Amino acid sequence: MFGEQQRFVLLLIAPAALLMLLFQVVPIVIGANASFRDWALYNPKKIWVGLAHYHSVITDPAFLYVVLPNTFLFMILSVLGALVTGLALALLLNRPFPGQKIVQTILLVPLMVAPVIAAIMIRWIFNDQFGIVNVVLEALGFDGQPWLVQRWSAFAIIVLTDIWLWTPWFTLLLLAGLQSLPKEPFEAAAIDGTSTWRVFRYLTLPMLRPVIVVCVVIRAIDAFRTFDIVWTLTGGGPGRSTELFSLYAYVLAFLNLDLGRGSAAAIIGGLIILVLGVVMYRLVDRIAKA
Amino acid sequence: MAAISLNKLNKHYGSLFHAVKDVDLEIADKEFVALVGPSGCGKSTTLRMIAGLEDISSGEIRIGGKIVNHLPPRDRDVAMVFQNYALYQHMSVYDNLAFGLRNKRVAETEIRSAIDRAADILGLHELLQRKPKQLSGGQQQRVALGRCIVRNPQVFLFDEPLSNLDAKLRARMRIEIKRLHAQIPTTSVFVTHDQIEAMTLGDRVVIMRDGYVQQVGTPLTVYEKPANKFVAGFIGAPAMNFVDVTVRGDAVETSGLKISVNPAYARALQPYDGKPVVMGVRPEHLALGDGAPGSSFDARVEVVEQLGSEILLETRAGADSITVARVPAETRIAPGDRVKVSSQLSRLHFFDPNTELPISG
Repeated sequence: MFGEQQRFVLLLIAPAALLMLLFQVVPIVIGANASFRDWALYNPKKIWVGLAHYHSVITDPAFLYVVLPNTFLFMILSVLGALVTGLALALLLNRPFPGQKIVQTILLVPLMVAPVIAAIMIRWIFNDQFGIVNVVLEALGFDGQPWLVQRWSAFAIIVLTDIWLWTPWFTLLLLAGLQSLPKEPFEAAAIDGTSTWRVFRYLTLPMLRPVIVVCVVIRAIDAFRTFDIVWTLTGGGPGRSTELFSLYAYVLAFLNLDLGRGSAAAIIGGLIILVLGVVMYRLVDRIAKA
Repeated sequence: MAAISLNKLNKHYGSLFHAVKDVDLEIADKEFVALVGPSGCGKSTTLRMIAGLEDISSGEIRIGGKIVNHLPPRDRDVAMVFQNYALYQHMSVYDNLAFGLRNKRVAETEIRSAIDRAADILGLHELLQRKPKQLSGGQQQRVALGRCIVRNPQVFLFDEPLSNLDAKLRARMRIEIKRLHAQIPTTSVFVTHDQIEAMTLGDRVVIMRDGYVQQVGTPLTVYEKPANKFVAGFIGAPAMNFVDVTVRGDAVETSGLKISVNPAYARALQPYDGKPVVMGVRPEHLALGDGAPGSSFDARVEVVEQLGSEILLETRAGADSITVARVPAETRIAPGDRVKVSSQLSRLHFFDPNTELPISG
């Protein structure tokens, strides 16, 4: 049926295809199946309930008014924050200075820290009784704050932790992008007497745009499914006020043990990411062609 | 007024590479000077030092009488055309042309009229709204020229601007640059590795090798009176033939040829009697046939290159390979033929084999 070359090609991709099938396609199918059934772990009737779980998720006020806004706000702030700081650092590192290599290496350290570890460190830093932040504040004569049990301070700490974790990633990619830009337009601009700001605004930024857009798309999709740092820092609290989407699905499925509803939530999230991804990739495509 | 003066200019890259060595050069106001030499000879580095894109290791650069050694590029009032055009790819042609003026906060109405003028000169009107990507190489290079014109600088610097174009376009752009310089006389420095470009464009030609200036002169001077063997071989196409000969009285000879030299050369060659010298003869100064007495030698044709307008012959005389040009195109000739080649005796060149300096008659 196949020529020798095709058989060889099929053989080469077979292991990867098999793994994908086993660990991606099969679980998705099982999850999708569960989302249409009454499938609680303590009472697995597995009765077909149609879209009932979907309906209850999208009419859940906690999902609509807390989890979704939190997730999108987190996504926007975290990606934007890491992009801006990452770009600033990349621009600084792009001009040679003594010790540049060392600084570059040190800046990469957060990339090597597991997010959970980082979150535990941050949790202790902002601990209201023993945390260094409150100790310093009190030594300066201010009142310590219960940082992680107030909604917006807790949310801000989550966002800042994520920015801290992901800035080096942006720095690395944007620096690579900056270093691959052609030299001549910048030399022409120097001869044309262009100010540093105008070089950045009219040359660096537009020329770097394809790299920026790709970074943002990848990171935005990734940020949508953030779980570990929120779970470790606040567990979604106080109350459910810092709950993000992945926590919502996790709590439904693995704490409430309602696999049916948890699966429905996960599939809704998957669809949101899918739509978001397609829209953003269209955007990349348009910008790359422009 | 914008004369350029280079004084003992040096460029070191680290301690290992000495790219430009003690370059002295005076370029008059409104003069067009071509810097030419093989790659790595320091010509581009010299130009980039004039532009301010490279630091100077030692020496002095003056533009319009003012020392500019430590001035940033923007304060030197120069404009530069790059080999790969260096256009701002994401901007329209109009915005590319306007960019330098907008840096200086020139009013938009003034910018528009400056661009109109430049577009008139370079025929850019239909291209103004396009992006550089949508233009051919020649059009892009015209835009790059336009970007220089609109700024009305004291000095134009060209860094191999025609090297990325195909041969036909290169010839056309050469003429366009020449016409531009006639229309807007501005001091210009043009770097190229193509000696034809240098000869056709330059009021004067500067030939460089290994960081040193070899000769500065008008195109005719460097062609007729090369300062050394390198210049003689570099200038002129096809390149000059070099034959190692031995001086015997008023003649020079090798195993394959013997040519009498005219009295002026004979006098100059006297000290070399019995010794080897290098004879240089341009292909265009050789012809088929007997020529003047003592001027011809026997050769065997090895390669025939029919150009349509003329024939180039690769011939062999003894151990030496000699190129003959300007053979009429209709000549019936084939590889293996035995021919008589005669030289114009007054246009021979002789070089000392050790110093490579000319032995002038």
